[in-house]
Amino acid sequence: MSFLLPKLTSKKEVDQAIKSTAEKVLVLRFGRDEDPVCLQLDDILSKTSSDLSKMAAIHLVDVDQTAVYTQYFDISYIPSTVFFFNGQHMKVDYGSPDHTKFVGSFKTKQDFIDLIEVIYRGAMRGKLIVQSPIDPKNIPKYDLLYQDI
Amino acid sequence: MAPAQRCPLCRQTFFCGRGHVYSRKHQRQLKEALERLLPQVEAARKAIRAAQVERYVPEHERCCWCLCCGCEVREHLSHGNLTVLYGGLLEHLASPEHKKATNKFWWENKAEVQMKEKFLVTPQDYARFKKSMVKGLDSYEEKEDKVIKEPQAVPDPEEGSSAPRSWKGMNSQVASSLQQPSNLDLPPAPELDWMETGPSLTFIGHQDIPGVGNIHSGATPPWMIQDEEYIAGNQEIGPSYEEFLKEKEKQKLKKLPPDRVGANFDHSSRTSAGWLPSFGRVWNNGRRWQSRHQFKTEAAAMKKQSHTEKS
Repeated sequence: MSFLLPKLTSKKEVDQAIKSTAEKVLVLRFGRDEDPVCLQLDDILSKTSSDLSKMAAIHLVDVDQTAVYTQYFDISYIPSTVFFFNGQHMKVDYGSPDHTKFVGSFKTKQDFIDLIEVIYRGAMRGKLIVQSPIDPKNIPKYDLLYQDI
Repeated sequence: MAPAQRCPLCRQTFFCGRGHVYSRKHQRQLKEALERLLPQVEAARKAIRAAQVERYVPEHERCCWCLCCGCEVREHLSHGNLTVLYGGLLEHLASPEHKKATNKFWWENKAEVQMKEKFLVTPQDYARFKKSMVKGLDSYEEKEDKVIKEPQAVPDPEEGSSAPRSWKGMNSQVASSLQQPSNLDLPPAPELDWMETGPSLTFIGHQDIPGVGNIHSGATPPWMIQDEEYIAGNQEIGPSYEEFLKEKEKQKLKKLPPDRVGANFDHSSRTSAGWLPSFGRVWNNGRRWQSRHQFKTEAAAMKKQSHTEKS
């Protein structure tokens, strides 16, 4: 499934993707292709990518190959999905401790579609942080550790 | 006490009854009014004898106020292009209504009886004025005709007399000058003179190349000739198809809300290898650029640490 979505393997490629995506939500999935949860997420992403083609551009990033971004975005759990719009990072309040990225996989395709739509609308109105429409029950739980404390 | 009465001459209400008219104030007002009116009437009277006809000027529209009748009267009579001076006034002064009004005015205001005659024009006078008016019109027409004919007449005698005279003068001059060159070979000598007088100019060569034309022969100017390199291109005018598509994209962009996130983000700017996007880090509370700044300092510190560790 993940071979349907474009892959980014270096910092330069990620930079290119961030800078060149115009007027669309940029979805960057940070993870590894073999990881089971990543596979689940990739399945959802690839199935919805054609429907969301006018609103979003989805890319897969390998965490092992882009160490800079793994550190910069503070990615400690995979998969982590980061959203950008016109080169600006979009924060989403999911009810979880970390607003900067979505950790884990989505439960249904509709959740992901709703989330993308909310991010797009918020971005069009100039909002840098939006409220997630996903039911908190469907958000994966994780413990946010500060430097392994 | 007499009832209130208004005296139109003094423009006042008074209660003296008939006595007001004999008062000093009223007589003074009367005198002044008649003095104002008298010059106009006198000028009109002069015109009875010699009616003047003038070309129409907007000033001839002026009206005169007749004190006795209490109405405005056209001073001059104008018809079309011509005006008869004081024609209107005379006509009014001769009319029977004016005579009646003048009599009434004199009786009511107790003015001097001798003065009355001055302000009246008898019908005979008016008839005399009419006659002189006709005469005046005729003389005016004659004058106009003369004026029109004059400029035409003037150059004719001039041409007739002066032109042949001047020609003759010219001929004699030319004849005299022609005699001299045959003796002194004048035509070539003046040419040489003209070429050599003054500071000498640098001669750069004759510019006639046999094959190529020039401005005098009507050849195409150099800036109209197509360059050789240009022949290879498709020579189409206007933007190419890709540019057209880009323009369409730009039009679509204009329709998007202007305050959207990253509206002024320059997508095509070249960034260095160390560029990081604007990202608000997890444990950061402040502004987003601070997290980038912090990350860079941390990265530098870690690099130094690893450097020191290695060494």
